[in-house]
Amino acid sequence: MTEKKYLETHEWYSLTDNTITIGISDYAQGELGDIVFVTLPEVGQEFSKGDSMVEVEATKTVAEAYAPMDCVVVEINSSLDSEPEIINSDPCGEGWMVKAEVKNLDDSGMLYQEYENFIS
Amino acid sequence: MPIIKYSPLHSLHLKNKAKFIEFSGWTMPFSYKGTIKEHQFVRQNNGYFDVSHMGRLVIGNDYLQKVSTLICSDLLELKSGKALYSIFTDDNGSALDDVIFWKYDEYVLLICNAANTEKIRNYLQTEEIFYQDLTEKTALVAVQGPKAISNLETLLPIPGSFSCLSNDKYTYARTGYTGEDGLEIMVDIEDLDELISFLHNNEIEPCGLGARDTLRLEAALPLYGFELTEDITPVEAGLKWTLTNKRVYRGSHIIDQQIKTGNHKVLKKFVIDSRNIARTGTNVLACNIHGVVTSGNFSPILQKSIGFVLFESQPDTDLLEFEIRGKFIEGKILKKRFLS
Repeated sequence: MTEKKYLETHEWYSLTDNTITIGISDYAQGELGDIVFVTLPEVGQEFSKGDSMVEVEATKTVAEAYAPMDCVVVEINSSLDSEPEIINSDPCGEGWMVKAEVKNLDDSGMLYQEYENFIS
Repeated sequence: MPIIKYSPLHSLHLKNKAKFIEFSGWTMPFSYKGTIKEHQFVRQNNGYFDVSHMGRLVIGNDYLQKVSTLICSDLLELKSGKALYSIFTDDNGSALDDVIFWKYDEYVLLICNAANTEKIRNYLQTEEIFYQDLTEKTALVAVQGPKAISNLETLLPIPGSFSCLSNDKYTYARTGYTGEDGLEIMVDIEDLDELISFLHNNEIEPCGLGARDTLRLEAALPLYGFELTEDITPVEAGLKWTLTNKRVYRGSHIIDQQIKTGNHKVLKKFVIDSRNIARTGTNVLACNIHGVVTSGNFSPILQKSIGFVLFESQPDTDLLEFEIRGKFIEGKILKKRFLS
């Protein structure tokens, strides 16, 4: 698995072979506050880079997570249906949202240091 | 550029690592450990809220006759030592602000919403009602929760429900905005540290405006700017119980007419059996009666989405359809309270 990379829209992704795992950053979960509901895509659903992939409902506001590159969903984290708060407690680990097969590799995300500079 | 105001507790909020929100020109704490944690803590234990952004105006009792012509509740019969929730109305009977009065022998303390303080001050000036503005000389702290009163007993004599007291340091009432028991305490800035030390020593946790909003919503309490606006009357907001002013007051003829005919907008509580939040502005249909969500959020106690919806007229079904970002989600009108 490659090192996590981050997008300006606060998603992270990591690459294993030809599959990416996608979630939202610790900064994003902190800004959203308590997450109470997540609408995940379906396995097999195709996304182009920048498409809205996941809807994250928090007590403060609602936000979307966008596809970091063209991809097809191969697995979703179903435990988020009953325990969306995992995203708050472990956004970059157990709180992953989607695994997807890469259709068009675009590994242009920021490394953590660069992302940290971006958010501060 | 508008000046952003800070509460006298701001340095304490920084120390407590609050996340802040701009609210009606004030920088106030939104949360500390998380809205849901703070919400649960207030429901099970007790917490304190900094509500120093709310306007605090002292009005001599000589002016109550005049004030009484501007609000929908009976202020003249209010006894010293009692609190009163009421609404300032305009010529259309619509709400200019919802406020609390704490009555003492010589004066009333009028507590108004931060967003409306200037409006109320101007209104009082126009009506030649003299007031003393204590908003920036004092702090206001609400201590709320089932354990609040037993904790505060060692600090203060406890007044009865909806009653107020004062001593040389504190002006306070057994009122609140969470559905829980507790006190709202006004204190001069120089005496604030003592109050805060007491709260911390008694493990009364700081809570932010995020939890205050989810708590008030669960308790079905209106929020000005949402359930009450300059376009909504107390009757329409389901607050007929506040209409105790038997005399003529601003817009009272319109309010009386609304009660007589029943022709007016109607505010209802709703529940959605899922976690989809129907937020402010969400369109709702009750058969063919259209409504708009005024406030909506997730109820940490019910683990469901709840809120208020304002209908154009009385709906004749309890079944609702919410349009949430292009999807249609079912819900229903709730006639009883959110929390039993």
